[in-house]
Amino acid sequence: MRQPTGDISERSAAAHGTAAHGATSRRGFLKGAAIAAGALLVPVSLARDVLAAEETSYEITDWIRLEPNGRTIIGLSQCEVGQGVYTGLPQVVADELEADWATVSVSFVTGRDAYRISAANEETQQFVGASMSVTQFHQRLRIAGAQAREALVQAAAARFKVRATQCEARAGRVIHLPTGRSIAYGALAADAAKLPLNPNPQLKAQSERRLIGQNLKRLDTPAKVDGSAIFGIDVRVSDMLFGAVRMAPTQTGKVIAVRNEAEILARPGVKAVVTAPFWPLPAPTTVIVVADSYWTAKRAADALVVEWDAGIAATLDSGKIMEQRLAALDTDKAVVATQIGEAEAMLAAAGSKMIEARYHTPYLVHATMEPVVATAHVRDGEIEVWGPIQGQDMVRKTLGKHFNMAPEKVIVHTTFLGGSFGRKYVPDFVLHAAVASNAVGRPVKVIRSREDDIRHGYYRPCASARFRATLGDDGYPTALHARVVGESLYAMIKPKAMEAAGGWDETMLDAIYNLAYAVPNLTVDNVNVKQPIPVSFMRSVGSTSAVFFLESFVNELADAANVDPYLYRRHMLAQDPRALAVLDRVVDGSGWRKPAPAGIHRGLAFNLYTGRGGAFKTYVAQVAEVELVKGRIAVRRVFCAVDTGNVINPGLVKANIEGGIGFALTNTLKSEVTFANGGAEQSNFHDYPLLSLAEMPRIEVALLDSDRPPQGCGEVALAPVAPAVAHAVYRATKVRLRAMPFSQGLT
Amino acid sequence: MRFFLNGRPIDFDGDPQTPLLWVIRDFAELTGTKYGCGVALCGACTVHVDGEPTRCCVLPVESITGRQITTIEGLSKDRSHPVQKAWIEKDVPQCGYCQSGMIMAAAALLKQHPKPTDAQIDDAMTNLCRCATYHRIREAIHAAANG
Repeated sequence: MRQPTGDISERSAAAHGTAAHGATSRRGFLKGAAIAAGALLVPVSLARDVLAAEETSYEITDWIRLEPNGRTIIGLSQCEVGQGVYTGLPQVVADELEADWATVSVSFVTGRDAYRISAANEETQQFVGASMSVTQFHQRLRIAGAQAREALVQAAAARFKVRATQCEARAGRVIHLPTGRSIAYGALAADAAKLPLNPNPQLKAQSERRLIGQNLKRLDTPAKVDGSAIFGIDVRVSDMLFGAVRMAPTQTGKVIAVRNEAEILARPGVKAVVTAPFWPLPAPTTVIVVADSYWTAKRAADALVVEWDAGIAATLDSGKIMEQRLAALDTDKAVVATQIGEAEAMLAAAGSKMIEARYHTPYLVHATMEPVVATAHVRDGEIEVWGPIQGQDMVRKTLGKHFNMAPEKVIVHTTFLGGSFGRKYVPDFVLHAAVASNAVGRPVKVIRSREDDIRHGYYRPCASARFRATLGDDGYPTALHARVVGESLYAMIKPKAMEAAGGWDETMLDAIYNLAYAVPNLTVDNVNVKQPIPVSFMRSVGSTSAVFFLESFVNELADAANVDPYLYRRHMLAQDPRALAVLDRVVDGSGWRKPAPAGIHRGLAFNLYTGRGGAFKTYVAQVAEVELVKGRIAVRRVFCAVDTGNVINPGLVKANIEGGIGFALTNTLKSEVTFANGGAEQSNFHDYPLLSLAEMPRIEVALLDSDRPPQGCGEVALAPVAPAVAHAVYRATKVRLRAMPFSQGLT
Repeated sequence: MRFFLNGRPIDFDGDPQTPLLWVIRDFAELTGTKYGCGVALCGACTVHVDGEPTRCCVLPVESITGRQITTIEGLSKDRSHPVQKAWIEKDVPQCGYCQSGMIMAAAALLKQHPKPTDAQIDDAMTNLCRCATYHRIREAIHAAANG
């Protein structure tokens, strides 16, 4: 874990800013700091009632401002996409700060090193991803809270003219213990803001925690039940115009010419017709119509007559992609990620005793309920953007490069995100808004239609796998060769790092290259089947393919050995007590050992989720209960046991697990993006359907007690769903479902 | 064209084919009602038209002349509608984008069936939620019914 103290000590030297919304930072003011673009910007993600009450506040640390009237403003650097950081991270700060939770409001912060993190030795940046918000910020925020608490205690001691050791912070006040006198934090804010921060503050002992571990209600719920929460699509700035896009029919299509531009420009309300690239490629792939209302822009965009160059992907076709994947499964040119012992030689010698299975997963699209949308205002020497942004520094870098400006000249306002799942880290939609604004010299909000959102995504890559094993006399594998092939995500996102690692893609082999199961002879390799299809991170990334392959194969081996799949895993995980604990818990909680109700069939799967670059360890085990209704799979209940370390807020973790299972069921049962004639064949929810309320199973979550620091939890519940459901179906029908989505396999 | 939005008269003089959704959002500047699909599949744009739950992304504004439209902003002044209270009690929303439509659909369901069965909830609640908050929605509807 990165030590936060470096960032915080930098703070005193850096020219960090007064809040741009006028809440004067006393600390910043005293140090004569300039207003830094991008620092503590207008928190458009706040509920309106909070915004309305802005007044003087005093910055105590990068994360904490206090108002004399008693309000505690806690900075949030991680965008709220639904995962609950808007509540869970301030909860950590407030616990160490010993704040009165009822006084806490949350403000989105950006533009300082304190808000930046790094995944797997990648560039340090402000972003949400890889289930790292809690693992990376937990300690940093505890220190910030403790620093502020100590400063407040010191300020109170000076006011009382007593020693600080006689004072204690408690629920938003500092108490002089011998006399019982107390002062509220708000009254101490101005004094505390002038004090230096202790680089090594005393953190609370576990027994002193009042908020961490509590099931506090989400702070963003009120604004999300009365329509006042501001999402990207809701941004309105003065003098704003609206943009609607028309994108190429093929993945790499380019605009040759707009044939009816004059006619479109003559429409009432239309201001401009602009061409724009589709990040990261420079070619114009998109036409944006800018108008005085979205509906005017949308109708005009639909009426555009565009001549397109189909580009290099003109013949892109899912059938051909599958042929390439099947060929790659049997190539002798795979890149080896893990080699232990002599697996391949043993398998070659095993003859008919070798067990082999092949599995497939399709391309998927994020399909966030809020399509990608952003508002931008490109001015002389600076750009201001507002939107559902998952990577603030990615946006700064991308726009800075495109408009030849320093990244810090890009002012980023982050709204609530109407879903993201990785999608809104990609800056393509913000670039569209900026290009449109630059053309008209006014702020423009560009809304992508659902159709173009699906047809021009950054997809979860497809994958295929070939698993081979031989079993010893006891039924357990003596040799395993696992191969996964498909379009490599890392080859697009970070080709140099992938090459440096030997040319294999960690995401493609998630949970396989670092196999948790004890297998004495193991070969793991992969093949990049290159395609001109943009791919990116999608919730749980490669594990939604790799763990489906791995866990399905483990279930097949257990069946071959005629051993209960729970006991089979227990045997191969015997060296890891945490793995055994989640397996035992899921079996106890689900009733695995008892007969299932009539018509119900159970399947089990396990995952040790290690995050990007092995950043953490979260253990998950699931039992799915499935009923077959006229040949259709109905998942009735999922029991999920999780060890995600120390839990900050059990309600938030459970919500992540529940939602993750529902998200995974959509992937498992329904989702597939296919390509024909160069373009995606799906375009809206009729052909890219999502799980419905009626199809949502009962979900029970058991969180295991843990003395480990908090581990990642936002992505961990997805991967075991498909193999657990597949095995339940096998036990009901003896049909192996080896290709997702399962809607393809049971008719 | 005049219609009534949360009791307030709205006079819209733009394209009569404009879907009500965009009139509510961009002309009347109430943004709680969301765009999700544009083809009435996802329900993020659900409002009440004379009390009936309606997906307004495909509803031309000219077709609702003189009618009463209720959006999430008009459901209650202070989050006091039983459905809103139950949503808060059960911590239903995750990203929250679909929840205005969900709440409007649930409020209409409870008006028709004050004590809905699970099957009635299944039939009425066909809005989509990518965060899959569905089972809490079900719980919250039961809680609102029994509140």
